[in-house]
Amino acid sequence: MTHSLHRSGTIESQKKDFNWFMYQTKGVNDVNIKPKALEFIAVVEALGSENWGDVKSGPITRYPVDYIRDHITDKSRLRGVFTKRSQIVEFMRQIKEKDLGMSVVVTGVLSEVLPACKEAEVIPHSINYSLGVWGKTEILPDDTTLSITTMCGHHMIPPKFVQHMIDQVKKGKLTEEEAAIKLCNFCYCGIFNQVRCAEIIQDVVNKDK
Amino acid sequence: MTVINVEKCIGCKICQKYCTVDAFVFNKEERKMHVDQDRCTECYVCLRQNICPQGAIEPVELVNFYKQFQHVISDPVENHGVTGVTGRGTEEVKTNDVTGRIQKGEIGICIDMGRPGAGVYLRDAEKVAMACAKSGVKLAPAEHTPLATLMPDITTGKLVDECHDYHLLSVIVEGKCQEEELKQVMEGLQQVAKEIETVFSLGLIVRTDENGETEALNCLDELGIPQPFRGKVNVGLGKPLSLA
Repeated sequence: MTHSLHRSGTIESQKKDFNWFMYQTKGVNDVNIKPKALEFIAVVEALGSENWGDVKSGPITRYPVDYIRDHITDKSRLRGVFTKRSQIVEFMRQIKEKDLGMSVVVTGVLSEVLPACKEAEVIPHSINYSLGVWGKTEILPDDTTLSITTMCGHHMIPPKFVQHMIDQVKKGKLTEEEAAIKLCNFCYCGIFNQVRCAEIIQDVVNKDK
Repeated sequence: MTVINVEKCIGCKICQKYCTVDAFVFNKEERKMHVDQDRCTECYVCLRQNICPQGAIEPVELVNFYKQFQHVISDPVENHGVTGVTGRGTEEVKTNDVTGRIQKGEIGICIDMGRPGAGVYLRDAEKVAMACAKSGVKLAPAEHTPLATLMPDITTGKLVDECHDYHLLSVIVEGKCQEEELKQVMEGLQQVAKEIETVFSLGLIVRTDENGETEALNCLDELGIPQPFRGKVNVGLGKPLSLA
């Protein structure tokens, strides 16, 4: 799947949005991954990964960290969010040092990610480049909604629920942060950036004032 | 299959806010909700979020292989049975540092049909898969990508006719071509993009140099396609490292 690749929204906003991933390869290093996964988690937790999770358990915004840790199996896939370039530099540096042998992927704006790789002294192997959306684009929701729904690349976030959350914030029934967490909880993987989401909602609400 | 128990439904329409593809339909005469079965992708968001205060949304057994396929692909929590991978069931660039599936001189083609959020009928996925095959893409086999399980012959991209009307939240058409074939593949995609009733998000996978640079995408300029600014970078920490 390419669920972190095709995020939308302004480039400036995307520059504060990085996804990290740990992957095991079927038939190569996919047995007894838990000890390595726990080392991985220790690194991202220490660096303040704003959200993370395991698609088999859910995200930390919805489940306790200990629950996710306890339920790691060889089918788990860990992934999460950083909001600052300095975090991904340190993340890559530390994971390289631990030499876990698992595949590591970082998704984001390339003008941020590639210099970060250099700084962390890791060498990019391959890149999946986003060439954007093709076809009958007129059927898509508005840009603001898309900038939120595409943060769950599996599209578990219903566009109408985004509008509902924005309305709730406008009416003062929820804060931006509360709305962002409610949206975040639809994304089981833990790659939804609730910090960026709150900023997007705030921008929309401020514009309409 | 997801259905509404009309005995329990009070027609409050709360469920409409929670459907990823607008499959909850209000029947004005009955004043009850229904699930548009042609549109529902079996993503199970409505079930997992437990959204109906009356408990009127109920799962019913998935009655055939295609319904099961629809659910497994649309619900990222499920592992695909053949590839063993969650999400949409493919590996693309994630473990390329170990698998070496996309090698130097090759371009991986990764087409997320129905994304972002529009959904895709498999008949449209077939159109794109066939356009890819026709323009030189070697489509990925069933052990690598779920859609190929519906292709009797992966050299054509044609899907079995029985699956055409199933609606999925998204599904990936995956394959690869040689660098020198990329221009004709992109021209094929530009054409087929005009012939489908949905959207797709396109990813191109490239083995880069040590700076993360590549000249393989230069042909995009000739076609008026903007150079990408966003990417998913495999940082080469997997072992054993593929140097292919």
